[in-house]
Amino acid sequence: MSHDLVCRGVNVRFGQFHALRDINVSFQPNRVTALIGPNGAGKTTLMNVLSGLQKHSGQVLLGDQDISGLRPDRRAGLGISRSFQIVAVFPDMTVFENMRLALQPNALAWSMPWRSIHGYRDLAADAAARLETFGLHDVADRPAAELSHGQQKLLELALSLASDPKVLLLDEPLAGVGHGDAKTFVQTLGRISEGRTTVLVEHNMDVVLNVADHIIVLADGSLFAQGTPAEIRADRKVRDVFLGQSA
Amino acid sequence: MMHSSARTPSAGRLRRRSAPYLMALGLAALAFVLIWLGSAPLVYLVTIIMIWAIATTGLDLVFSVTGILVLGHGALLAAGAYAFAILTMDFGMAGLPALLLACVAGALLGALMGAPSLRLSGLHMALATLAVSQIFFVLITVKLRGITGGTDGLPGVPRPELPLVDIYDDRIFGVFVVLMFLLALVVYARLRESPFGQILKGIRQNEMRVRQLGADVRLYKLASFAVSGAFAGLAGALLSGQSYIVGPEIATWMVSGELVIMIVLGGRGVFIGPVVGVAIFMLLKEVVSHHTPYWGGILGIVFILITLFMPGGLTGLFGGLFRRPTKARPAGEGRAAS
Repeated sequence: MSHDLVCRGVNVRFGQFHALRDINVSFQPNRVTALIGPNGAGKTTLMNVLSGLQKHSGQVLLGDQDISGLRPDRRAGLGISRSFQIVAVFPDMTVFENMRLALQPNALAWSMPWRSIHGYRDLAADAAARLETFGLHDVADRPAAELSHGQQKLLELALSLASDPKVLLLDEPLAGVGHGDAKTFVQTLGRISEGRTTVLVEHNMDVVLNVADHIIVLADGSLFAQGTPAEIRADRKVRDVFLGQSA
Repeated sequence: MMHSSARTPSAGRLRRRSAPYLMALGLAALAFVLIWLGSAPLVYLVTIIMIWAIATTGLDLVFSVTGILVLGHGALLAAGAYAFAILTMDFGMAGLPALLLACVAGALLGALMGAPSLRLSGLHMALATLAVSQIFFVLITVKLRGITGGTDGLPGVPRPELPLVDIYDDRIFGVFVVLMFLLALVVYARLRESPFGQILKGIRQNEMRVRQLGADVRLYKLASFAVSGAFAGLAGALLSGQSYIVGPEIATWMVSGELVIMIVLGGRGVFIGPVVGVAIFMLLKEVVSHHTPYWGGILGIVFILITLFMPGGLTGLFGGLFRRPTKARPAGEGRAAS
């Protein structure tokens, strides 16, 4: 099962501005690859390229398949899921109902409209099990609107994972999350990256150095450095230019 | 453990799940008693309330569950009423099949009315439904005058005749309407609980997310309009049978507006809210209009007071007894992270 995500010679221009310059990187399965770099380095642009929201030159490959021209929904169909910075849960539903609804499109492509949702035991069991994985089972019966921001972000992550995507693109999953919740989040992230290709954009350097298996540093739209967290931490060039300012 | 209770429902949860059916049965039983024992005016009033309640219950699916404001629902009642009248009078069709086809007519016009929702949302969508209903109104009053009788309408509409009983006895017709009402409520309760209903609820709360989850939001919206139209078609046909006449008045925007007002009065998103709303509306109309011709003004004041001080409608007062009402919250409004 080869589902590594590869960029070959990706360029993005906004008029005169060269947002991404000749990016050649690959994101490997079973590990978390973090994208870091100062503001304006092109992190979000690259995320948009990967999820299909940004037109670009060069190629994006998923395994052997060239997906460069595919729209976001087609890429979702191929197993690329993206979570957004803004929380997108169903506020009036309970946490359990949120999870069950997220599983529904894949589990029940066609359903008899007169059959009650409560009759689908497998769906309920799957939802409950997933909530337990995310440590949300204690709040399963509470409306999502009542959760803390951190818990909502966790739920958001759980919903993004409902389709069991091969590739998970996480855009600042910790934005606005308090310190206590961040710890839970890091543990969860380590667990869910197993078996899939995870790309993480995150400003919190502690988190990045903790969860990332591989780090890609962007600066001014170009690939500045890449390596393991230890290598990046030891790289004097990176430390001078970037880590020193932001850590 | 709460998560395991999701698998093996607790007694409380079971009670809550069966509550809509018990309420539907209770309301139908109450209506049956009133119709069987009541005086002629009471029989008329209860029958009319049941018929309109079928329409508001159907509208509730789109308005409260899917979250789309509809200002043209009256046209869907008219579609059912005219279909029933024309099929029985011009084509000599039997009552029950004609009733079924009236539902189909309502569903078809409903899907047509819902079509703009593929592009529009919010107030724009509401105005588009109004536009569709106005076009339909012009069609039946002017363009299709030859078939629909224009502004005079079609007098002499029969009732859906049944073996063994005399449907022209108002009490018998009333009981028939109670059965249809019960059927509509049970179907509605079922739909709300179905996977289909779950997706509709999701669309109201966060359409973008539902799309990302891989559900075809457009199809679900159209389907909810079609189902809603079928309810309206049934109500329209029963209405024309009740009064032996169908006229274009039910296709006007006033009727469409009243339907929305009834739901808000009763409680948006609460299972029996649409029924309670119709009852309050009709009682106010019957009682107050005996004393003053300005009953509409009094109703308006009541409506304003309720929207100001009772956002959950009348059923919202007893929140603990019923399901929690729909919160008026625009889709996608989460706690912004940035």
